[in-house]
Amino acid sequence: MQISRLNRGDGLRRAIFGLLCAGAALFLIFGPFFLSAYWLRILTQTFMFAVLAQAINIIAGYAGYPAFGNVVFFGLGAYATGVLVVKFNATFILSMMVGIGICLFFTLIFGLPVLRLRGHYFAIATLGLNEATKALTDNLTALTGGGMGLSLPLIPGDVETNSRFFYYMFLGTMALCLLVTHFLMRSRFGYAIRSIRSNERSAEGMGINTTRYKVLAWMVSAGFTSIAGSLYAYWMSHIEPAIVFDMAIAIKAFVMFLLGGAGTLLGPILGAFILETVSTFAWSHLLNYHLATLGVIIIIIVIFMPRGVVFFLQERFFLSSLVKKIREERTV
Amino acid sequence: MLFLQVLVNGLLSGGLYASVAIGFSVIWGVMNLINLAHGSMVILGAYITYYLNASTGIDPFLTIPVSGAVLFVFGYLVQKYLIGHVIEASVLMMLILTFGLDMFLMNMNLRMFTADIRSITPVYAGLGIQLGSLRIPYTRLGVFFFALTLTLALYLFMKHTKLGNAIKATSFDSDAAGLVGVNVRQVYALTFGIGSCLAGMAGSLISVMYSFSPIHGAGFAMKSFVVVLLGGLGSIPGAIAGGLILGLAENLASVFLEASYKDFISFVLLVAILVVRPRGIFGKQFYADLKA
Repeated sequence: MQISRLNRGDGLRRAIFGLLCAGAALFLIFGPFFLSAYWLRILTQTFMFAVLAQAINIIAGYAGYPAFGNVVFFGLGAYATGVLVVKFNATFILSMMVGIGICLFFTLIFGLPVLRLRGHYFAIATLGLNEATKALTDNLTALTGGGMGLSLPLIPGDVETNSRFFYYMFLGTMALCLLVTHFLMRSRFGYAIRSIRSNERSAEGMGINTTRYKVLAWMVSAGFTSIAGSLYAYWMSHIEPAIVFDMAIAIKAFVMFLLGGAGTLLGPILGAFILETVSTFAWSHLLNYHLATLGVIIIIIVIFMPRGVVFFLQERFFLSSLVKKIREERTV
Repeated sequence: MLFLQVLVNGLLSGGLYASVAIGFSVIWGVMNLINLAHGSMVILGAYITYYLNASTGIDPFLTIPVSGAVLFVFGYLVQKYLIGHVIEASVLMMLILTFGLDMFLMNMNLRMFTADIRSITPVYAGLGIQLGSLRIPYTRLGVFFFALTLTLALYLFMKHTKLGNAIKATSFDSDAAGLVGVNVRQVYALTFGIGSCLAGMAGSLISVMYSFSPIHGAGFAMKSFVVVLLGGLGSIPGAIAGGLILGLAENLASVFLEASYKDFISFVLLVAILVVRPRGIFGKQFYADLKA
């Protein structure tokens, strides 16, 4: 009785939450018509990081494999686009497809041995894969331009149209990533990888082909990261191994994903918006201390919301989820 | 003869890598905490030596206890009043926490010490032992000697003191250690203090051998990863072996291959070792590891 009354209150809160989401979506869709170029650029970058964070969420949040070096797919996507467009005059779409193909192949080849490792060991192995790929890209000068990098041809048209183009491309990719994650998690695949996270041995005992689903999850993650990398190469029109294979990108996306809430649909997106906003503020107001400010904010969030913002909000605004949590704790 | 010189150089820098990695290894092995702020702590130790040397002219090797003591207090307080308060968080959240700490420390290092690249040149910097065509500079020899002494001291401490045994017991099973009267929170704070102390002392050694600036910390943290995984998590002899192997591999690779392939080789080695033998050469499975 008590609980059903609590649930009724939740219905109203859910409606408010839905309205907020719709409002945010409308704001983002019509943003380019009233926002300044400065904020358009920041939002575009936020969308990019939201895609990277959601991609990490699929393999780390749902499947429980912390792919720390996921930035390798960002770099591979960027270089696939860069090399194909500059050296082979390919179209952007074709180069993006090839980039995705390379990343899927990469996960298939390295996923089988590396996904046998767990926890820290897996995280560091992926880091090693990224650093090795970065060093190789740096050395294959004839193909990749080495440390000097590659300059892509500039896109014709005026600056404003181009910035809107990339705004909508990244927004679209983020929306696609969100939709795909949403539907995947309701499918057989989603249940399989979440059962792997809870207990891999039991999942295997239930007849789930864990190796296949782990590799598949990493493939989905790699594919989206690669798309973001391809777009980034075209957006920045200059890429270098030290920039597109930078571990700082991976760590930032990882912080966003954990900040928002691991294994939740909206968590990584929320995390990306929070961290980008704070980091923009720190840059513009506290230039000399912007790293320290970000560091302190990360520390505060970990101490006060150790499970991420989404769980923190859920437990405060949706009483039923608090009740559920207490029940879970009792049964454990 | 070149080959012999390369071997000696590799061993000498390997000793330094071992001493940089050992604090990282102890904290990881005992507390299952990857301390991403390790690099910035090492650099802080290097700056303490630099400023003591610049202001009083004291020999850099004599400043080792000072940087060790300062970093011990820092590490102890950080664990006791910051990290120790996070109970509910997952292992990955802790990783992010130390990353935040690293950002904070790096920024503070930059503000306090500026981004200028510093180095120390003691009076005996150019001198060394000459054995035929083999040359060993005194500074590198001193660094190697102190690196091994520190590691040996830690090994004896862990093996023969009550506190060392308490730390080891906690690393195997923290609940059981608590049951037999070990104050686990206090042990964690002391372990983090000891790990930071070792980082600071390694920083003093680095300042004698290399030039450094606040951003160089990340490179040393990366090397610590490789050393710890090569040798085995939490293992002290393993850290020496891992350090020497990395030092040798790097120096040999830069002679026999193009120097630019050095990084590629060492990371391929890292992934290969992880896949073939995840516990490292001397690694045992720790309780902290089993919990993960």
